[in-house]
Amino acid sequence: MKRHLMGVVAAGLTVALGVSGCGKGSSSSGGSDGKTIKFVAAIYDDNTKPYWDTLIKDFEAKNSGYKVNLEMVDWTQMDAKVKTYVQTKQVPDVLNYNAFSDFARDGLIYQASEVVSPATLSDFTPTFVQQAQYNGAQYGLPFISSARLLFYNKDLFEKAGITDPPATWDAVKTDAQKIKKTGAIGYGLPLGPEESQAEFYSWAMNNGGGWVDASGKWAINQKANVDTLDFLKDLNKSGLTQPNPESTDRKTVFNQFAQGKVGMAIGGPFTKAGFIDPVNKSLNFGVAPLPSKSGAEHNTLGVMDVLAAFKKDGGKNKEAIKKFLDFFYQKENTSKFLTTEGFLPVTKSAGDALSADPYMKQFVDALPTCKFAPTSNPAWSAVAGAVKQDLGTAAANEDPKKVLDKIQETAEKAG
Amino acid sequence: MPDLTVKERGAGTSPASRPSLPLRIGRALTPLLWLGPSLVLIAVVVLWPVIEMIRTSLQKISSTGTTLGYRGGGNYTDLFGEDDLIPVVLRTLLWVGGIVIVTMTLSLALGQLLNARFPGRRVVRWAVIVPWAASVLMTALIWRWMLDNYSGIVNRLLLDLHVIDEPVNWLAHPTQAMFWMMWVAVFVSLPFTSFVILAGLQTIPADVYEAARVDGAGPFRTYFGITLPLLRPAVLIASIINVINVFNSFPIIWAMTGGGPGNKTDTTTTYMYKLAFYDQNVGESGAMAVVNFVLILVMVLLYLRAARWREEIR
Repeated sequence: MKRHLMGVVAAGLTVALGVSGCGKGSSSSGGSDGKTIKFVAAIYDDNTKPYWDTLIKDFEAKNSGYKVNLEMVDWTQMDAKVKTYVQTKQVPDVLNYNAFSDFARDGLIYQASEVVSPATLSDFTPTFVQQAQYNGAQYGLPFISSARLLFYNKDLFEKAGITDPPATWDAVKTDAQKIKKTGAIGYGLPLGPEESQAEFYSWAMNNGGGWVDASGKWAINQKANVDTLDFLKDLNKSGLTQPNPESTDRKTVFNQFAQGKVGMAIGGPFTKAGFIDPVNKSLNFGVAPLPSKSGAEHNTLGVMDVLAAFKKDGGKNKEAIKKFLDFFYQKENTSKFLTTEGFLPVTKSAGDALSADPYMKQFVDALPTCKFAPTSNPAWSAVAGAVKQDLGTAAANEDPKKVLDKIQETAEKAG
Repeated sequence: MPDLTVKERGAGTSPASRPSLPLRIGRALTPLLWLGPSLVLIAVVVLWPVIEMIRTSLQKISSTGTTLGYRGGGNYTDLFGEDDLIPVVLRTLLWVGGIVIVTMTLSLALGQLLNARFPGRRVVRWAVIVPWAASVLMTALIWRWMLDNYSGIVNRLLLDLHVIDEPVNWLAHPTQAMFWMMWVAVFVSLPFTSFVILAGLQTIPADVYEAARVDGAGPFRTYFGITLPLLRPAVLIASIINVINVFNSFPIIWAMTGGGPGNKTDTTTTYMYKLAFYDQNVGESGAMAVVNFVLILVMVLLYLRAARWREEIR
């Protein structure tokens, strides 16, 4: 019996310790005939996979001999997957992602001009081309864009006796107080780890703050940012936001907003189809520019996802990639994706298709005033990661200046 | 004929008394035939990942996942320079200690119950297995929604019972969140542990109890004088495996709080993940994995020493 014990202990240790080691997944690489490519696409919602399935079938029918292997990856898994692909040298040919500059820095991806035709290249809107550059050359292929505006509940505003959506921060606070008196939540503030960098920047940019200074150096702990965080903390501490902004995600805020329990919140074009309609189709809400400290100018947060094409087999995959990407960037294919998913165009040709919808038009119109996160800086993803983890704590009990100092330190370390 | 016999005998006996070299090597290696498969398994499943982990912790890996070469102990210097590391390690020790102690205590009681004869025992035994059969992630997600601030059933229940006056956002406050997550971890650890205890209880021969009864020992005395000492092997195994499992537990914390707010509910395991995928620093995360590995080895060895397992084995 005692021998058995020894055996069991040994077996138990072996199994348990083995589990703690990390495994490496591997997937088969596509054929090296140069006509089969692997495309890793992100799942935006339930409609994404059917869209790509149809598009690829169509592409393969029109380009006989060419084949696209589709792999769908959830956003929550994406970072881990991409790192594994690169570590194990199993990179896809085309990747749909939210970052590209560190791939460019490490020499993993093609320049845009190598993988799309000149016609496609010149169709991208200049604002987005600028965001897709690394060291002056375009690497990323703008894929979708999005902008943020202030959503407000018209019924709650009327009940609280407010006529217009707030244009200044002071107005946000007084309106939130009035809404609170009706029993609802004044402002929905999602500073949880999901996307706190977007929520924070939406406020900071309208106070003259931001991630970098004029010379492009990290300026995360600048005074304008500290003031912004102080303002948001004050909203929370005055009881004008939902409880615990530091652990609230957008989904929760807009679920409450859709139920008519939140007066104001910042959302994007996808918010209506993705968050509000599934809960309450008849919600009476309006969309307004983001409020600013002074009320003079209103900037909008722009977000862009990209496609990136990986170098492989000494460039043999270039032709197939080019065929596939040019096919996707045809006006009808691109605009179909945008309308299905509720995103904004990155190409001139698809722009008009969306302006027909009055709800979408407000966002399309806001695009020219867009400010973007510094995605062309390869260190941005590390900075965004630090922001996601820590920024929210400043709205709760931590000191805003200290939290921003710490993120600044991380940013300088990352490059 | 006689010649032949001699020849045969000669051929048969001479190698046996003095075997040739290849044959001797062959005999020495024969056990490998049986040991081989398990040695290969251990090498591939245990040793290789460990070596790979240590190698990663010494490398400079860019945010894309490209290896840029070795950087010596740089990842370790970075890791030990993190302000969050010490609180995270202390929290991990609390997490492991708290969960294992509560689990063991409850399991000793549950094991006793499952061992007792009563109508419906089979049903109760099955019921105890259920949390084990359900996926840990699923259990954690269900608890997360039960504890939700807006629509959670826990708040509803406590409000209706007038225990609290307004909804509590349980998972947003580090202390309460830790408490609830530890409870979920205990909940999912109970089935395995109580069944190990049950198995241990069933190996205790009935005549020992009979002798105790004849000698006039009461139930209290019987339990602490006979049952508990004889359960030692089972308790030892159950607690070691629990320590390792709980230490490495990722899904419960990840699903319920994601280690937040900030790093206030992180254990070393979730912190390691965040280093790799939030801070984009795979090398430093590798260093954390090595530290994690050493910590758990030390903890298990200390425990075995405290429990004097060698005496137990001999």
